[in-house]
Amino acid sequence: MNARVMVLCCFGLSAPGLFDQVLTAVTAFCPAVEAVEPGVCAFGARGPARYFGGETALATRIIAALADLGPQPQTGVEARAGVEARAGVEPRAGVEPRAGVADGLFAAQLAARRADPARGRPVLVIPPGRTPEFLARQPVSVLPDQDLAGLFSRLGLRTLGDLAALPAGDVAGRFGAAGETAHRLARGLGSRPLALRPPAEDLSASQEFDPPEPLAEPVVFAAKALAEQMHGGLAARGLTCVRVQVRAISADGRESSRLWRHDGLLSAAALADRVRWQLDGWRVRAAAADRGARPAAPAGPDAADAAITVLRLVPDQVVRATGHQLALWGETVVSDRVARAAMRVQAMLGHEAVLRPVLGGGRDMSERVNHVPFGEKGEPRLAAGPPWPGRIMGAAPGVVYPFAREADVTDEAGDTVTVTGRCALSAAPAWLAADGEPPLPVTGWAGPWPLSERWWDPAAARRRARFQLLTGDGRAWLAAVQDGRWLIEAGYWLWASATRRCPGANCGGGWPGGLKGSSWRGLIRISAPPIRSRSCPDG
Amino acid sequence: MGSAPAEIRRISSARPRLSSAVEDSESWASGAGEVVTGATGTGTLPVLPALRELLPRGGLARGSVVTVAEFGLLILALAAGASADGAWCAIAGVPEAGVLAAVGLGLDAERTLLVPDPGHAWPQVVASLLDGCELVLLRPPAGAPAPQAQVRQRLEATLRRGRGVLLVVGDWPGAQVRLRVLTQGWTGLGDGHGRLRACCAQVLADGRGQAAVPRTRWLWLPAEDGRVTVAEPAGIPVPDPGFARRLQVVSG
Repeated sequence: MNARVMVLCCFGLSAPGLFDQVLTAVTAFCPAVEAVEPGVCAFGARGPARYFGGETALATRIIAALADLGPQPQTGVEARAGVEARAGVEPRAGVEPRAGVADGLFAAQLAARRADPARGRPVLVIPPGRTPEFLARQPVSVLPDQDLAGLFSRLGLRTLGDLAALPAGDVAGRFGAAGETAHRLARGLGSRPLALRPPAEDLSASQEFDPPEPLAEPVVFAAKALAEQMHGGLAARGLTCVRVQVRAISADGRESSRLWRHDGLLSAAALADRVRWQLDGWRVRAAAADRGARPAAPAGPDAADAAITVLRLVPDQVVRATGHQLALWGETVVSDRVARAAMRVQAMLGHEAVLRPVLGGGRDMSERVNHVPFGEKGEPRLAAGPPWPGRIMGAAPGVVYPFAREADVTDEAGDTVTVTGRCALSAAPAWLAADGEPPLPVTGWAGPWPLSERWWDPAAARRRARFQLLTGDGRAWLAAVQDGRWLIEAGYWLWASATRRCPGANCGGGWPGGLKGSSWRGLIRISAPPIRSRSCPDG
Repeated sequence: MGSAPAEIRRISSARPRLSSAVEDSESWASGAGEVVTGATGTGTLPVLPALRELLPRGGLARGSVVTVAEFGLLILALAAGASADGAWCAIAGVPEAGVLAAVGLGLDAERTLLVPDPGHAWPQVVASLLDGCELVLLRPPAGAPAPQAQVRQRLEATLRRGRGVLLVVGDWPGAQVRLRVLTQGWTGLGDGHGRLRACCAQVLADGRGQAAVPRTRWLWLPAEDGRVTVAEPAGIPVPDPGFARRLQVVSG
């Protein structure tokens, strides 16, 4: 005999936020509710029904309570229906809440589906012990296994009653475990017990802007109130969050989402500041992208598209609030003074303009230092622990180009120096001409030091031969040959001729990320056996 | 009382002086006025031992501007000493800064901020950074116009108020100390063999006031062990054609 189960269907309220409200409303009647699927929840009906004077009375009260959720469900229903229609999902019929009570979850779900609020019967109660009768009238198509249901109907088993009339052993022998499960369901047995748990609390705070808000200030103002609401919700439960996610959705559907370090230290005003920086950075980037895409586009429609419709603060990694203890030693504490300064610069230039270096592993000079925006917790992309064979040992270069500079290295005859797959040089390098500089005589060199990285991943594989070169003006260079081209990765100098200005961020001119995703295949035999290095710096 | 407004004016004009005097006395007494204190007292930020002789007060005087002609290891070494001592350091306008090399010299990456592109509003950015960091390494953007005297003076005022140090790559009229590398020579690299091991450099310091007398020092920057040391006269490699600047070969 199965326990009495009540199932509540409210497909119109199945949006995550709304359904959480439904679950919260239901927990006012019984403490433990299972969310079966979006819009459907189930709970044991025996105890609450006794308390509230019968199953019908309980269901009626719950449905009334859902109606009392106020105007939100109503607008929510419309909004949801609109969203579903846009998304190409057919809105489900029967958005009004309905309830069914029966022995077992399966029968209760069917009963809820058969309830008819349009005719004033939002609750269908199958009396105790009458569940098999109720089930026997249902068509086999209600079974969860649709393939099996189709097979049953082709075999002439139209209703669950027909199926239940068959001997259990024969059904199991012919249809296997799936058939046996269907048979048990048809007999009103074997519904699994409810997996009851209190609903996860929604601690986020969000606000919709209608009409969409084109200016940042009102959004930031709302963010402060939202932050207070979120902090209040967390504090009431004795919780705090490690990070907070700020999500903003614009009128044209674009979304900006960023995680900010919180650690329970941010005030509402500080959180509102972060929302401001995030929005500023987003706008700047969007404006730059628009300028790049459509140079002559008028600003008007863009501004309207970029208006904010939804702002949402979601606590991430919620933990118990244990107070905050400053580190005594070990961990570097960012003093308020430094944090204020860094954030002021972030407010001016954007979030990604102020970085903190995080040292990691890797074979390239540039990939061994990861840049993490200030205020975010950074992990190196490549762990520092592994040995990284092939990396350049010894003194680190003082100048590391974010993007390698193009160069040309020639021999005495003026031909570009090439490296074969077996790491044989065509000739000793005699002249080095970095882009934008006159050729310099090479007075010392070492290499080639071969490096073949990630050969198992065609997209990331690259083969290079690296050199250290010394030029006549006293400078030392770290250069590499890749795809038959010479690239300058780093420089060791203290001083360079005063006529030249180091080109800085745009030094990679025409070489954005060009180091990656290519190989020597074009010019060099790839099937060469392992390369013998003449002199290896880590040897 | 007719004299009350005058009295208020007098008091209000005295207040900044009083507060600065209190600040001075506190910082002189214990160094507690600073968030992060330097080991060698409050008047200077410490530098690596090998660089002490180049600087007039044995360190980077707080509130001063120090220039280095070119970006390279020398300016990173200047910053490394202070950072190792606990100062926050910001590097602005140098996207190609070799953080790894600086860390090798003593820079604490945990206490370093990088602003690779301060943009055209770099004076405001630097002023903000100076409010938080004691040491700001700046290379003014190449495309931006040279700093106006007014902009420079405002930055220098911020510098004195925050008692920080501004390290500038390039030229800065009115800098207290100017450093320049005269020659540099790497050892360890042969003709197709070896690897870069150490660099011997001759560094010239001059400037204004105490620094007016030019000083020249030979340094290993870096030495074989990765540190910065003073080069003994006997250890200085013999200049070869590729070593001295005057013998620079110009291609035809």
